[in-house]
Parts: sequence; structure tokens; C-alpha cells
Amino acid sequence: MMDGCPGARTQDFREKETKGDESGKRQSQLRQWPIQLHLVSPEAPYYQKADVLLSADCVAFTVGDFHKDYLKGKSIAIACPKLDEGQDEYVEKIKSWIDDTKINTLTVMIMQVPCCGGLVAMAQQALQSAKRKIPVKSIVVSLQGDILSEEWVEA
Amino acid sequence: MERYLNTPIKEIITSFPEVGKILEEYSIGCVPCTLGSCLLKDIVAIHNLAEDKELELMYRIEKTIYPERDIKKPVFKASKKEPDKEIRYSPPMKRLVDEHTLIKKWIGRIPQVIENVDIESESGSQLILDGLDFIRFYADKFHHAKEEDILFDYTDKNLDIIRTILADHEAARGHVKEMLKAIGEKDTNAIIGHLCAYKDLLTEHIKKEDEILYPWIDRGLSTTQVGELFAKFNEAEEKMDKGVIEKCQKFIAEAEQRIENFHRS
Repeated sequence: MMDGCPGARTQDFREKETKGDESGKRQSQLRQWPIQLHLVSPEAPYYQKADVLLSADCVAFTVGDFHKDYLKGKSIAIACPKLDEGQDEYVEKIKSWIDDTKINTLTVMIMQVPCCGGLVAMAQQALQSAKRKIPVKSIVVSLQGDILSEEWVEA
Repeated sequence: MERYLNTPIKEIITSFPEVGKILEEYSIGCVPCTLGSCLLKDIVAIHNLAEDKELELMYRIEKTIYPERDIKKPVFKASKKEPDKEIRYSPPMKRLVDEHTLIKKWIGRIPQVIENVDIESESGSQLILDGLDFIRFYADKFHHAKEEDILFDYTDKNLDIIRTILADHEAARGHVKEMLKAIGEKDTNAIIGHLCAYKDLLTEHIKKEDEILYPWIDRGLSTTQVGELFAKFNEAEEKMDKGVIEKCQKFIAEAEQRIENFHRS
């Protein structure tokens, strides 16, 4: 049976049991606007020497505690390596973060679907062409919001 | 048992040698440690064993110390997942591990150097002197300085494991000092003795750092701290004389051939 692209395959999680404490309200950890990678200026003050989170669009909808566990304390940009156009500009912006804005670290958070790997590849390409070197981490999220891997990326 | 959890491991192994053998079965190599001042509880925590393995280890140690006690054997559930045997380091820690690779190349050649040592010949004494320069500039000023001046600021320097590592550094410096003196006095036996002691010390020291210290520090570092460490290592390296570092790398690349030539002549 042909299942088609794993990134677009229909999957139903409605039967999934939800656990955890739903009481109380959580504050947003977002510290900036805009967030979409085409819209942000890589030299915006909130990126200066920051720990930057480059997240695939779907990640924040998938990980229950995205704000608390991953966004807190970081500056962010979001992108979709499958659907977005002008991805050469993305590589240039990431390179500018590294060389011009002198970010401290870059964490790339992606979904487990194969097309999402393109975002890590963009970060690696930018790192290889940048003059500065920084630690880059890749976090892969399952379709049901579990963290599948978290590791430092080789330049 | 509480009392022994807070006892330096050397005291425990001296009183109960079997404990040293048990620790070795779990790849915890405290027996040859130069200080042995780490507390048992810290050693167990620092090695990050799987939960069932840690329970099993503590049961066996307690049973060895108190054979008369009726200690309930814990139920060992098989781990769902085998712990990952490959150690993955953060980028700054990986850099220190890579530097160890070069240092280990020199350590690996020390037995051949000792076998052929000829302090009377110019090429023989020069080989020893160049080896000492490598130790002083690469292993000590380039590598150990990054640990002492930067990395250990991210730990509690009063912890026994850090004190043990610092004591190793001092012991290594002591051997270098004595070797320089021995070269001046053309004392071949002293050169051989200190080279051997340096090799043994650094072999154990590097194993301790690669397998225990660096993974332990890595587990406690935030992403921000990893970035800071990486940047501080870069700054420290930029301040160093690149020519000296390249000379050290060249020395290792050529050492094998020099030893081989020396052996043939």
C-alpha cells in the first residue's frame, strides 16, 4: 500500500489519553515580534548574543510544554523547510545571526518527518559558510509531541 | 550504610578490597586513582548508571560491608533500553576530547622512546626535549589551562573529582620539572622513570576525563553555558601563539619517523 509523503499522511490521535496538570494559566515566553524567518531582521536587538531557537512551524503545536521547556530564555524564528520559498535567504539570515549578531547558540527544533531535516541542513550550511563557529543543537519531535532525540550537530 | 556513602572511596577499598573489584565490574575504576578522596555517594552519582545497575551495585557493596545483615535483594527489572554506550559530547567538551587524541599519540610512543633513549647523542636528547615541549605547551598550557582557567569555573572546585584532576595536573608538572633536571644532569634512569610515570598518570587521567568528568559536566550544563564555554575556548585559543601549537602538532606527526630513524641508527 502506498502511504505517500510521511509529512502529509493523515493520522488521527483523538483516542490518545491526555495526562498532566491542566490547571492554572501559563505565561507566554515569547519575547519578540515578528517570528517568521522571512519577516525577522537577523540583526534585531533580541538576537544579539542570544540563544536562538529555529523551530519548524509545526513544532509549537505538537510539544505540550513548548513555551516552558524550549522557548523560555531564547529568541525564536520559525520556518517550514517543505513549503516556504526563498530558502537561500534563510541560509543567509542564519549566517548573519552567527557572524553579525554573534548569537551564542542555535537550537534547531524539527518534526520527525523527513522533509523537516532540511531545516537542520540549512543551519549546517550556514555554519559551514560562517566565519564564526557556534554550537548547534538539533531536537527532533515525534508527531505526538515526544522528544525523539536531542544532540549537538557537527559543523 | 549512610556512614559509608559519605566515606572517601580509598578508605572503603582499603577496609573492603572486594568493593574495588565490584566497582571495576561496573567500569568504575577507583582502584588505581591517585587520591581516592571521592565519596562513595558521589562516585555512584557521577557514573550515571542505569537505575537497575545502580541498585544492584549498591546492594552488592552493602552486602560486602555488612555480610551479617539481612539485606533485602532489590528486584532487578531489566532496563527497557540499554544505555547508550557511545558518549556524545557538547562541542566545547568534544574539543577537549580531540586534544586528548593528540596527547594520547605521544603517550603511546613513550615506550619506544624509553627503549631507545640515548641522552648522550644530540638527536636523542633533542627528541626528549621536543617531547617535553609538547607536554608543556600543548598538554599543559593549551589543554590543561583551558580546563583550569575556564571549564572548572562551571563546577564546584572543592569537589573531590575536581581536586583529583587538579592534583593529576600538578603531578604531571612535577614529572616534567624532574625530567628537565634529569636531562641537564644526563641522568638516563631518572628520565626513564619520570617518562614512565607521566605515561601512566596521563593514561589514567585522560580516561577519567573522557569517560567520567566531561560527560558529568556536560549533563549539568545548560545550552547557554555550552555556548559560553565554546566562545571562551575560542578566545583562549586566539590568545595563544598559533606557531607553537602548529609546532606541537607537527612534532606528533613526525615523532614516529624520528623514533624509527633513531631505532635504526
